[in-house]
Amino acid sequence: MKKELEHQFVSLLEQNQNIVHKVCSLYTDNPEAHNDLFQEITIQLWKAYPKFRGDSKFSTWMYRVALNTAITLYRKAKKQPRTQAFDTVVYRIGAEPYDPTEEKQLKLMYSAIRELGDIDKALVFLYLEDKNYSEIADTLGISEVNARVKMSRIKTKLKTILNP
Amino acid sequence: MMDELELLKKDWQQREQELPRLSYDDIHRMIWKKSSSLVRWIFYISIIEFLVPHLLYLVPSFREGNGYSVAKDLGIHTELLVLTVIQYAVVLYFIIQFYRRYKEISVLDDANRLMKRIIRTRRTVKHYVIFCLSMILVIFGLFVVGIYFSDNLAEALQLGEAGAKQDPVELKWLMMGIMGVLGVVFTTLMGGIYFLLYGLLTRRLYTNYKELRRMDR
Repeated sequence: MKKELEHQFVSLLEQNQNIVHKVCSLYTDNPEAHNDLFQEITIQLWKAYPKFRGDSKFSTWMYRVALNTAITLYRKAKKQPRTQAFDTVVYRIGAEPYDPTEEKQLKLMYSAIRELGDIDKALVFLYLEDKNYSEIADTLGISEVNARVKMSRIKTKLKTILNP
Repeated sequence: MMDELELLKKDWQQREQELPRLSYDDIHRMIWKKSSSLVRWIFYISIIEFLVPHLLYLVPSFREGNGYSVAKDLGIHTELLVLTVIQYAVVLYFIIQFYRRYKEISVLDDANRLMKRIIRTRRTVKHYVIFCLSMILVIFGLFVVGIYFSDNLAEALQLGEAGAKQDPVELKWLMMGIMGVLGVVFTTLMGGIYFLLYGLLTRRLYTNYKELRRMDR
């Protein structure tokens, strides 16, 4: 029984691991920290898995656990010198026509997001993942109106960084 | 002007191919690893906080026979006994409270509620520590009072020859002073270590919690 559950969980996580990697890439800035956070999120997901009832999609459920772990439970927050890891991940996508201005803008925006607080990051992350405001509000435990207000403030902030 | 954020969103979603990829076995290995989560650390620290006062009994002079007979000779053993009973009752209450709080914490809650609960757990532990620290202070205080009212101090404290030679009044004030200073130093030290450790551990959580509160106003 336990073995079956284990297999089910690991397979599901293997298929959906991108979500966790994306959270890790936002909240950490070197491969080692990335792996540590990934592991912690995996542990938390596994511990909570028996309560997953399948009435929501596994991926939706993962967003909540992953973000909660990154924001509230994760302990290792050693200040480390920033590495280029993030920039390399953000590196160009081969198929896209190369546009230096666009590239520069993206880089600027990503580094601006890195500077945001943990909660703002979570908001931006959910936004980038195309979640609607009711889902964002629900995950963070704030009202939908406030989630909108906060997001539009972050947008303005990002725009001023791009067009000073 | 094209919405930069839309550009970002598009880029973000295309990045998926570049993310690291773990195998089934990698993930399988991870699920049995020990969590290093904040809640677990709060839990460990409270166990340590619970054990440390008991470890004192390993120090020879604190061990039952000795400490008890000193207390008896000083005429404070009844008070000490009552205090110990109260202490254990309160400790039991805290253990139950702490367990309930710990159980309440669920990673499936929304971030706001989760943080609120962790902070509540933290607060319970903090109250427990304040209680322990005051107990230490009270026990030292009790000894100071006991010494003050003691008629034959050198004998009560088992100071032997050297103690008997001392001027009793001088000895009394000296011992009261030592006990008082010891009590304060010990309490401050324990409290200092605890609050430093805890403060460092939960600082980030507090920052995030405040940020979320501010957002939701």
